[in-house]
Amino acid sequence: MIKRSFFGCMTPKLSYAVVDESYAEPVPVSPKKKIILFFSPTGGDSPQPAFKVGDTVSAGQKLCITDPAVPYMLSSMSGKITDITSMTGIFGKKIISATIAIDDPSQQSVDESFKSIHQAPGLGNAMEFLKCLPGYPGFGVFADKNHPVQTIAVLGMDNDLVSATNQYVVKNNIASVKTGIGVLRQITGVHNVVLIVPPQLVQVAGSSGATLKSVDMAYPSAHPVLIERYLLAQRDKPQNQTTVKSVAFFTAEAVAAIGAAYNTGRIPFEKIITFLSKDGRKRLVSAPVGTPLQDILDAMSETLGDGDRLIVGGPMTGFSVYSADYPVLPDMDTLILQESKTIPEQPDTPCINCGECIRVCPVKVPINMLVRYLEAGQFEVARDQFALFACIECGFCAYVCESRIPILQHIKLAKHTLERL
Amino acid sequence: MSATPKLTVSYAPFWHNGSRISKKSCNIFMASLLAVVPGVYQYGVPALGVVALSVGSAMMWEIIMNILTRRPISIGDGNAAVIGMIFAMLLPATAPWWIVVIGTCIAIVIGKHIYGGIGGNPFNPVMLAIAILMLSWGKILDFNAALASYAFNFNAVYPLTLMKSFGASAVGGISLKDLLMGRQIGGIGATCGIGLIAGGIYLMLRGYIRWEIALSFLAGVGVTALCFNKVNPVYAGPGIHLLTGYTLVGAFYLITEDSSSPVNFIPMMIYGAGAGILTVLIRNIGAHVDGVVFAILIANLINPLVDKIRPKTIGEVITHA
Repeated sequence: MIKRSFFGCMTPKLSYAVVDESYAEPVPVSPKKKIILFFSPTGGDSPQPAFKVGDTVSAGQKLCITDPAVPYMLSSMSGKITDITSMTGIFGKKIISATIAIDDPSQQSVDESFKSIHQAPGLGNAMEFLKCLPGYPGFGVFADKNHPVQTIAVLGMDNDLVSATNQYVVKNNIASVKTGIGVLRQITGVHNVVLIVPPQLVQVAGSSGATLKSVDMAYPSAHPVLIERYLLAQRDKPQNQTTVKSVAFFTAEAVAAIGAAYNTGRIPFEKIITFLSKDGRKRLVSAPVGTPLQDILDAMSETLGDGDRLIVGGPMTGFSVYSADYPVLPDMDTLILQESKTIPEQPDTPCINCGECIRVCPVKVPINMLVRYLEAGQFEVARDQFALFACIECGFCAYVCESRIPILQHIKLAKHTLERL
Repeated sequence: MSATPKLTVSYAPFWHNGSRISKKSCNIFMASLLAVVPGVYQYGVPALGVVALSVGSAMMWEIIMNILTRRPISIGDGNAAVIGMIFAMLLPATAPWWIVVIGTCIAIVIGKHIYGGIGGNPFNPVMLAIAILMLSWGKILDFNAALASYAFNFNAVYPLTLMKSFGASAVGGISLKDLLMGRQIGGIGATCGIGLIAGGIYLMLRGYIRWEIALSFLAGVGVTALCFNKVNPVYAGPGIHLLTGYTLVGAFYLITEDSSSPVNFIPMMIYGAGAGILTVLIRNIGAHVDGVVFAILIANLINPLVDKIRPKTIGEVITHA
């Protein structure tokens, strides 16, 4: 945890993780007995899975839900579906979870349907097979015909602290990123590809063939919203503000996975995760999507105790889970195990108007006023007068809050409530 | 998993920079000792009594209000102790016990808890208490009368009274060094300029008070006093104004109080400078000997208004319905 600096008169700075020589190769972790796949239906009705308990699946086989709007998942291992449960996630999000008891590693059967078409890359088959690659490629934006994509931004830098996943991919696997960028250009027809990297990786990333942009190492400058605003919009400024230009964001890991998929015909499932253990050590782990977190903890020889916190995603914007029986998700860059005694306490004090949040907010939201209205449940006023929806949810305000108000949670709750109305 | 551990599940962010209200209070309290200890040394045990009673009674009122309003006991955040401490800094060493208890009662009950406790007060609680005491028991807060029984080895007349009654020439003989070293009469913690400045610089560097407010207040006092002095030398120069009365304690401990001060840069400057200008205006042409109290209260009053001057939110969607 990065503490407040002694000289508090200056604006606090948080720095992103820097991937350097201290990062060893990712430790490969394979699921021991089962994998778990999560489907998140968006619709209001209760969509049913198009598979049932007892079905056998092969590695790479596509599993769908009856709701066509819901992204499919590809099983990363072959096995037999043993359990299908519905559960509720954060803010009432519906999740259908499928547990697959995996076959013996020596007897894995592989679904060959992607292999048959991988020689002919196209947006159609990418959307059909590659939507749930590690890094979660954002093909969805290409479907929106009203906002044609002008630029593809490849994020070679992670959005949250601690995480070094995408930086690692750029540093050690720039060849795959290059292939992936080539494939993306080919299948989308968008030739303006920008690779966003931290300053120290500019040299390595030079061979990628994309336009390079380096971002500041101070959190949250690698946030997609800020990147879009400061880095990409600079070229064509005010005159044509009416034409909404769309930017498609891909993580470097996703791009590398796309490259690898079309190169080899085999869909990669290994997700690189930055694991921060209780003693503050950072290690990289490579595990197939769907691996239960418990297997990763076992491989890292970490034990979970009562009151510990297991955080999926970074320390600023992630979420904590109820059990280690939670799978590796395609967009899970970071896994943090926080010991119970290091969890910051949360007192119940109101805002004292110290103004720390105002000084750190990257988009200058009047948080001191906003939080007063949010605490009182006056979400409409917050939206209309205090720029609720301008918030990019970086969590910096709550990080520096002297009263330790869960500002980010208040903001998310307000946005969620207003969007449901 | 047979023995599933119960995990802590909570919201992001999962890290915190470790700041908390009690740390801030502790730092302000400790920094104020730099000015209070010389004051206690100068005025002896009675001053110590006033300080101890003020801090203690402020905390007592806080507990009483917590119990009456059925809210969690909040003296742990140290805010009540800080209010008591700063209140004592402004009092003469001979202040009777009951005025201390009434003063802290006004500060904590009327100044703070009626508005909803910490963070809710529109006025600085200490300023409110001192203002009410000044209007109700002016004699007791008149430093010349209150400290008459002391024998000092320096001119034991409150410099601001001299200035008010006899003009700049009367204070011409006072050296700024004496004022800095605390060789003047005044509040227990308001006379030792060097201690106040040291504490103030520490708090500003640590970010516990905002330098924008403190410095713009001092600049407002200095520049306005200089203007008056240049136009008509009967008004004292900036040095005297800055180092006497409540100016320094006001700049570092009173006007910077979080809840009643703005948070954006330009408003902080306006707020601080406005209070500084008002201070000298009240001292030079107003009715009161020291203008700091009412200047800060008036600045508190404009705080919500000036704090509306804020930078435009990036990406804000403005709909004109």
